[in-house]
Amino acid sequence: MLQLMKYEFRKTRFSKMVLLAITAILEVLFLAGIFLDWENGIGWGTIGLTFCAMIGVFYIGLESLMVFHRDLNTKQSYMLFLTPRDSFQILGSKVIENGISLFLAGSFFVLLGMLDLSVVMAYYGELRNFLDMLRELLSVFEIHVDVTTADVLFVILSLLFSWLMTIVTGMLAVILAATVLAGKKFSGVVSFAIFLLLTWGCQSVMNLVPELPGLLYYLPGIALALLFTVVMYLISGWIMEKQLSV
Amino acid sequence: MLECRGITKSYGRKTAVDHISLKLEPGHIYAMLGPNGSGKTTLMKMAAGLVKPNAGDFFYQGNPVGKESRREIAYMSTEPYFYSWMSAGDVGKYYEDFFDDFSMERYLSLLERMELTPDLKTKALSSGMMAKLKIAVTMARKAKVYLLDEPLNGIDLLARDVIVQTVIEECGPKVALVISSHLVDELERVVDTAIFMKEGHLVLMGDIEELRMERGKSVVDLYREIYGHMGEKAD
Amino acid sequence: MEYNTAIPIYLQVMTSIKRDIVTGRIQPGEKLPSVRDLAVQYSINPNTVSRVYRELEMEKVCFTRRGMGTFVTEDAEIVSQLRETMAQDLVGQFLEGIRGLGIPESEAARLLEKYGQQM
Repeated sequence: MLQLMKYEFRKTRFSKMVLLAITAILEVLFLAGIFLDWENGIGWGTIGLTFCAMIGVFYIGLESLMVFHRDLNTKQSYMLFLTPRDSFQILGSKVIENGISLFLAGSFFVLLGMLDLSVVMAYYGELRNFLDMLRELLSVFEIHVDVTTADVLFVILSLLFSWLMTIVTGMLAVILAATVLAGKKFSGVVSFAIFLLLTWGCQSVMNLVPELPGLLYYLPGIALALLFTVVMYLISGWIMEKQLSV
Repeated sequence: MLECRGITKSYGRKTAVDHISLKLEPGHIYAMLGPNGSGKTTLMKMAAGLVKPNAGDFFYQGNPVGKESRREIAYMSTEPYFYSWMSAGDVGKYYEDFFDDFSMERYLSLLERMELTPDLKTKALSSGMMAKLKIAVTMARKAKVYLLDEPLNGIDLLARDVIVQTVIEECGPKVALVISSHLVDELERVVDTAIFMKEGHLVLMGDIEELRMERGKSVVDLYREIYGHMGEKAD
Repeated sequence: MEYNTAIPIYLQVMTSIKRDIVTGRIQPGEKLPSVRDLAVQYSINPNTVSRVYRELEMEKVCFTRRGMGTFVTEDAEIVSQLRETMAQDLVGQFLEGIRGLGIPESEAARLLEKYGQQM
C-alpha cells in the first residue's frame, strides 16, 4: 500500500512543485510589499495567495481524477494492475494519497495565512504592542479567541472532507464509465450525470441533519462526508474487482 | 498449473476469445501462434488477470487468477506501458518495489546484454529499445509462469539471440513459458509445444517434435497449412 | 547450428553429438554439459536436450551417474560400432541419391574412386 501511495504521489509531484513555486513567488511579492511599503505588492500578493490556496486545493483533487482516468484508460493501467495488489488497495492508495495531499495543502495554506497575518499585525502595529496584546488575549480572552480560530479551522476541515467525498464520487463515475458503460454511446455524459446525481444526493442527505449548537455544528457534516467517502470507495473497489478490464 | 475452461471474452459484438479450454504445465515452453486478431493477446491478458472474461475463468494452482497469482506470473504486453516520467532505472525500481522475485542485479545485466543503460528515459526510446526494455524487466523476475506477448516484435537480430537465450535459461522443471508470436521461425527451436489459434478458437495444441515426426512438417509448414494466406499476410 | 525444422530437432542434435564422439572431439568417458547448458549452447528447448540424452542412453552411447551428470561411454566397442552405423547411413544416403539418378550400383564404386580424391 505504501509503495502504491509513493507512486501515486510521484505522478502528481510536478504540479505540486509548480503550485509551491507559484506560492513562493507570490509570498515574496507579498512580503516585499510589506517591507518596502509597496501597496501593489501587498494587494496582488494577497489576492494571488488566496486564489492559489483555493485553486491549488481544488486542482489537487481534480488532478487525482485525471490521473485515475489515465490509469484506467491507457496502457499505463498495466503498471498498476500487473502488481500483486487488488483493486481495493489500488483505489485505496489513491484515495488516501489524495486525502493526505489535500489536508497537507490545506494546512500549509492555513499556516501560511496565519503567518502572513501575524507578519502584517507585527509590522503595522508596533511589535511590542502586538506581543503584549497577544499575551493579554491569551490570558483574558482565551476562550473567545479559541472559538473563532476553531470555527475557521472547522469550516476548512468541513470543506476539505466534502471535497474529498466529491473526488471519490468522481472516481466512482470514472470507474462506471470504464466498466459498466464501457463501449456504450455517451458513456462520458452518462457517468457525469451519475456523478452530479450522487453528489446532489449526498449533499441533500447532509442538509437533513439538524443543526447542533457550538462546535458540534460541524461534526455531523464531517462524519457524513467521511461515511459517504468510505461507501463510495467500497462500491468503486467492488466494481473494479469484478468488472474492470484494462 | 495454469488452466482455463470455456473462457470467453467479447468486445461489443466481436468475440475475441471463444470458449477456449487449455492447460499449461510446468517445464514447457509454449508457442502461441496465430495472425493478429486471433485472440492471443486477449487470452494472455485474461491469464494475467488484466481482462475479466465474460464466461469461464483462468485458474492458477487451482485458484482464480488475481492478486495472488500475479506474484508468480510475469506478463509482458506488446504495447509499452511504463509511466512517461520513468527512466530504465526507475522501471527496475518499480518492479523491485512490487515483485519479490525481481532481481535488480539480473535486470542490470540483461540491460547491458541488450545494450541499454539505466539512465535512458522511456519517453525517448525507439520502439525496438522499448521492446528490449520490456523483456529485460520481465525476465529479471524469477517467476513461475512467463507470458510474453510478441517479445520478438521489432527487435534486432542480436537482441533476439539474447532473448532466446534468456528464455532457455529461465526454463526449468517448475517454470512454464508462453511466447506469442507470428514470427514462427524464430521460435521453432526453442519451444516444445505449439498452440495454434484462429479467430478466437484453439485450433491445435501439441508437442512440436511429435508433430514433426508424425507429419514430417515444421511449425512454419503447419502454420501455412492452418492459416493459408491469412497467416502470410500477418507477417 | 542450422536445423532442418521439418525433422525432429532431437535427432539432429543426437547426430551432431555422435559425430563429435566418433571424431574424438568428445572423448570416451567425458562428461557432457548439463541439460540447461547444452540447451543454451544449441539454442534449443531443454526438454529436447533431455530427450537427446535419454535416447543416447538407450543406445548405450551415454550413461548417467546419479547426481553427477551424463557421460560418454567408455566402451570403445560401442564407439566403433557407432562409427560403423553412421558410415553405413551415409553410404545409404549416397546410394539412394545415385539410384535416384538411374546409375547402377556397380557404377557407384567407380564414381567414388574417380571423384573421391578430388573432393
